[in-house]
Amino acid sequence: MGLLGYTLRRLLHAVPLLLAVAVLNFVLIAAAPGDPVTALVGDFPAPPDYVAKVRLDYGLDQPMPVRLARYLGHLARGDLGYSFANRAPVASLVAERLGATLKLTGTALGVASLLGVALGLAAARRAGGLLDRAVRLGATAAYAMPEFWLGQLFILAFAVWLGWLPSQGDGPLRGAAPGWAGVIEGLRYLLLPATALALRYIALIARITRARAVEVLRAEFVLAARARGASEARILLDHVLRNAAPAVLTVIGYNAGFLLAGSALTETVFGWPGIGRLLFDSIAARDTPTMLAILLMVSATVVLANLVTDVLHRLLDRRVA
Amino acid sequence: MSLTRRAFTTLAAAAPVAVSLAATPRPAQAAERVAVLGIDADPPTLNLALTTGYASGDIGAKLFEGLLWLDRQWNPQPSLATTWSFTPDGREYRFTLRQGVVWHDGKPFTAADVVFTFNEVLAKYHPRTAGMLKTVGAKVTAPDPQTVVIALEKAYAPFLVQMSVFEAPILPAHIYAGTDIQANPANLAPIGTGPYRFAGFARGSAVTLVRNEHWWGKPGLDKLIFQIIPQAANRASGLETGEVDAIVDFYLPKPDEPRLMQNPKLQFRKGINIPAVYFAMYNTSRGVFADKRARQALAHVIDRQRMVAQVMNGLARPGYGAFGDGFGWLLDAEDRYDVKYKHDPAAAKALLAAAGYKGETVRLVHDAARPQMRAAAAILRDNLRAIGMPMEIVALERAVQLDTVFKKRDFDITLQSYFSAGDPAIGYHRIYETNDSGRPFTNASGYSNKAVDALFAEAATAPDRDRRAVLYRKLQAILNEDLPSFVLFDEETADFATRRLTGLWPAIDARDQWGGVTLAS
Repeated sequence: MGLLGYTLRRLLHAVPLLLAVAVLNFVLIAAAPGDPVTALVGDFPAPPDYVAKVRLDYGLDQPMPVRLARYLGHLARGDLGYSFANRAPVASLVAERLGATLKLTGTALGVASLLGVALGLAAARRAGGLLDRAVRLGATAAYAMPEFWLGQLFILAFAVWLGWLPSQGDGPLRGAAPGWAGVIEGLRYLLLPATALALRYIALIARITRARAVEVLRAEFVLAARARGASEARILLDHVLRNAAPAVLTVIGYNAGFLLAGSALTETVFGWPGIGRLLFDSIAARDTPTMLAILLMVSATVVLANLVTDVLHRLLDRRVA
Repeated sequence: MSLTRRAFTTLAAAAPVAVSLAATPRPAQAAERVAVLGIDADPPTLNLALTTGYASGDIGAKLFEGLLWLDRQWNPQPSLATTWSFTPDGREYRFTLRQGVVWHDGKPFTAADVVFTFNEVLAKYHPRTAGMLKTVGAKVTAPDPQTVVIALEKAYAPFLVQMSVFEAPILPAHIYAGTDIQANPANLAPIGTGPYRFAGFARGSAVTLVRNEHWWGKPGLDKLIFQIIPQAANRASGLETGEVDAIVDFYLPKPDEPRLMQNPKLQFRKGINIPAVYFAMYNTSRGVFADKRARQALAHVIDRQRMVAQVMNGLARPGYGAFGDGFGWLLDAEDRYDVKYKHDPAAAKALLAAAGYKGETVRLVHDAARPQMRAAAAILRDNLRAIGMPMEIVALERAVQLDTVFKKRDFDITLQSYFSAGDPAIGYHRIYETNDSGRPFTNASGYSNKAVDALFAEAATAPDRDRRAVLYRKLQAILNEDLPSFVLFDEETADFATRRLTGLWPAIDARDQWGGVTLAS
């Protein structure tokens, strides 16, 4: 089967999968105990007619199957619903916040891929050496640290104690400098959250790259290349990296979707105005339409990332049918 | 299909997702007097008439005005009304409005706006004031464009307290009349009469207000920015790094406050706040706490001092009596907890035995999201263990907790905190008044005492404070004996700001009266 056919088939399979995810999310949230309305009307005994009005506004006066059918109907028309907690359409809420999340996760994934591969290759070159041991130890430590905890430590160290970097937000609120100074200012805001988010993935990618590279470096064709007098850089880039690439790409691709989900905590710690934060806030406010939309989006991203990974995998490794 | 080596190398080099790192440059303005205020979350609405949400109130109090505001001593001060009077029976209030006030869009403010706001908005949508206006049977009229008369069917003692911007913000009739109030776009881009006007709301990031040149006073700042900082600990950090200029106590974790008080760059206001009490509510309709002797037993052993020190880092005062000690004018020294219930484990055990207690485990329910409740529950468990009463602590998600406590009443003890909103009649009667509605934040203890209900009804309507004090003392004598709820401590607050800000906090509520705040040069 051609690559196009394969991609289309996979896309087609994704539709029932995403539908099942949407239904499951809806049912699980609806089945959660506690009345979402009480969480919304504040911490004073609201008059009963006021509570009834909020319930009506939310459509919570209807039984669950009716609400589910209505939700799926809206979804089929591309309508993500209305967030009463934010008093805005969910689609516009998500659209407003998507850019910030892409900036953060894109940077984190980019940095993690570059650094992870570079560190993994460097460690593999002298397996068992000092650098290798340092990378392995560092990777284990970085992988073990939760992003939100690391983020909090970064804030303490670099914002509160050293005063080098801002602790909150995605840009200066008091008015930024124009031109390049503004760009650099923006980067200062990005540095801590992107690093906190990236470290775990740097560790993961470095470990996989190292493991695959060590294997490849022992292969006969590498020995042959060396015998032919190929330079070390050429061996690493052309032979090692190319052969390690499918495994590394798989790890990067499969984690891209999780990165989006994982950004919720990092965004919350750093006050980054992305959709991860929006998800966190919507859970706290029991804002079901927003929760559902973001969960569906995360699921779709995971499905899409997996698909892109598989396609790239096929391109890189002809043995994958 | 396969990749050439060159294509692969290019791909490998470009593999990381290309991202735009450029920050959106914002125009810098020299010598602008800007203050950044920290808040906790996106305000769901900026229309203060629709919500009692804290952040909405924080922002809304700078955009809108009430007829009056309350100073640190609770005295009403002129805002949109310059003078007011009321009849001796407390059933008619007459407000004279400030002349020459204009809305942020330039339209004149008149008595018609006040009448519209009360009748069409506050009476229908305000979570607290709607109930009050209905209960007292308020009729709002405007005999002339500068005068508003509010006639009450029943007198209501804290009526003026509920005329502040938080309880009765005045909205523009020309924006809201004939519209769906809750869906009006002005709710997120408000038109008020306050010292600052709305300039922008970047969700998840900040709400920006700019000075209102046409305000009847003189705003001290050019711009107010409310920065949304979701993590409580990072709000304190924001003050320390100088990113944030001021934060109200509500948003700060108590463990951070003593440290902030030591910071030479910061100033703070401590101990001036609208009273709020933390209390243990007993389920009097089941188990051992149906017998008041069991409730009294616990009063002999609950270590309120330890709670103040460990739960609130000293920012509280140990429980004094049924209404705490936040309202000095109503205290009953004779019947206070300290006098009635000395620390006495032996007496506690004897009372428990008399109540027929056989060592059953009691179930304490609290809101899992509140660290103070978790800490207070742990101390309570220690205290109860000492008198042979095992306790199970059940921490539940907020909505589940509300359901479990107020609807299902599946608890023996629950920890709650109620805000007085400026008067015991507004915020504290609900702790003890008979209520079987299952509504959250009411009396879930099952305690029902006709004499108590009658005293509360009179205390809410007597216009004379001395008379009210007598009634509240009678109530304390009964309630400190019956103990359907036991006040653990009165919250104390500390509001923080950079030393560069002057003119801060003239009002009892730290969010109010920011028109006069300015930056020292």
